[in-house]
Amino acid sequence: MIRLQRCATCGTSQYPPRAFCGACLSDAVMWEEADALPARVLARSRLHHSNEPRFRARLPLTLGLVQFAAGPVALCFLAEQAVAGADVRVRMGADDLLEAE
Amino acid sequence: MTARDYRGVALCCPVTVPYLRRSPHGAAWFLAGALRLLLQASGIAKTDIDGLCASSFTLLPDTSVAFAQHVGVSPRFLEWLPMGGACGIVALRRAARAVQAGDAEIVACIAGDTANETSFRDLLAGFSTFAREAVYPYGAGGPNASFALIADAYMRATGATRADFGKLAVAQRRNAQRNPLALLRGDLSLDQFLAARMIAEPLCLYDCVMPCAGADGFLVMSEDRARHLRLPFVAVCGAIERHNAFPGDPVQLRGGWAQDRDALWAQAGIGPADVQLVETYDDYPVIAMLQFEGLGLCAEGEAPAFVRRHDFTVEGTLPHNTGGGQLSMGQAGAAGGYLGLVEAMRQLLGAAHGWQVAKARHALVSGFGMINYDRGLCSAAAVLGRV
Repeated sequence: MIRLQRCATCGTSQYPPRAFCGACLSDAVMWEEADALPARVLARSRLHHSNEPRFRARLPLTLGLVQFAAGPVALCFLAEQAVAGADVRVRMGADDLLEAE
Repeated sequence: MTARDYRGVALCCPVTVPYLRRSPHGAAWFLAGALRLLLQASGIAKTDIDGLCASSFTLLPDTSVAFAQHVGVSPRFLEWLPMGGACGIVALRRAARAVQAGDAEIVACIAGDTANETSFRDLLAGFSTFAREAVYPYGAGGPNASFALIADAYMRATGATRADFGKLAVAQRRNAQRNPLALLRGDLSLDQFLAARMIAEPLCLYDCVMPCAGADGFLVMSEDRARHLRLPFVAVCGAIERHNAFPGDPVQLRGGWAQDRDALWAQAGIGPADVQLVETYDDYPVIAMLQFEGLGLCAEGEAPAFVRRHDFTVEGTLPHNTGGGQLSMGQAGAAGGYLGLVEAMRQLLGAAHGWQVAKARHALVSGFGMINYDRGLCSAAAVLGRV
């Protein structure tokens, strides 16, 4: 399940998570869960260099900056065919990392 | 309310502890080296320093507090400025206000870092809570990956090409070839730039700064004190900073400069056409282009055309990153936030022997720092003037 924080006081969604709402500073933040969340690809990059040996065998990795329909922006792994501007669905993938396709 | 000007403040003694690709020394060694060079250059005693601004990533867990004990100074004004690429201009602003207010007479501003096999990776892995959770696990590309995404969005928004980025990098390399302090001085052609291996598309090897070790520094005092000490100095015509600007922009296509540039030029009493050299924070050429736009050298989205019509070498139509910038000098951690400032001071003092810009009267310097999550959060700029 993918989880996005939403403020119970002002309704703002946010990512990355924090202990309070970045808009109104209320600490009444809730989690909204879904199998997948709709988002749009803002930018993409194919990563050819990693600072961690554990990623090197998997290079190149395709990364995307996506904006959830609810507003927040997230960095995620991106499917090859998802170009900038494309509508995608973001899921929680392996190692609890976001994947969009 | 309009901010008070910086009249009466003198910037003196730009110093650099020569950059090294790697070093067995810790950050304190580099910062102490900068302080030693400041004392040598100014002729003042260590006890004359009653203000200190310091910045470093690899000094942690120590800060300027511990460093004061290490080097045996007892300042009555002390700052620790973790603003990365903006820390030099922020230090200038803090120190200048302290001098104007009488909270300190001579402020040493220093920044430096060491570099070894693991320091850069450790820095990236623990850079911020957001980075630890929501950036680094996605391939550990570090700032290369984050800025690649910004560059991708910027290219589609403006029509910028890799050749535009390359033109800036190649001009800086030509400038660096005249500067003995630059680490990277081999020939670099546009063809080589375009053929270089990709690091994070669209960024190639020569788009990315090389992490290294080193330190930079300068002194801030009153003009009266500088004259009394017979130290040549540079004036602060204007300076701005802004943090977490435009948080509603989904992708960072502008830094904070756009919000404050009118105040900067009004304070300086000159316009963008009146500077003879520009020192931007060039962790990537695309970020230099954001600064050209943000600071009013060209309109928003028009940096590609601006880059195509200018020659950025020391003798060119707009000398830019005249010592080679970080792309050719190396990025010595927090010292990267001082490099442009120190270089502009050298130019205005006529001390850039071998790479001097002719008739340099005013310089624009800008800083950009701290990619906490998806964007650089700290923007700063200063206009400096020859006295």
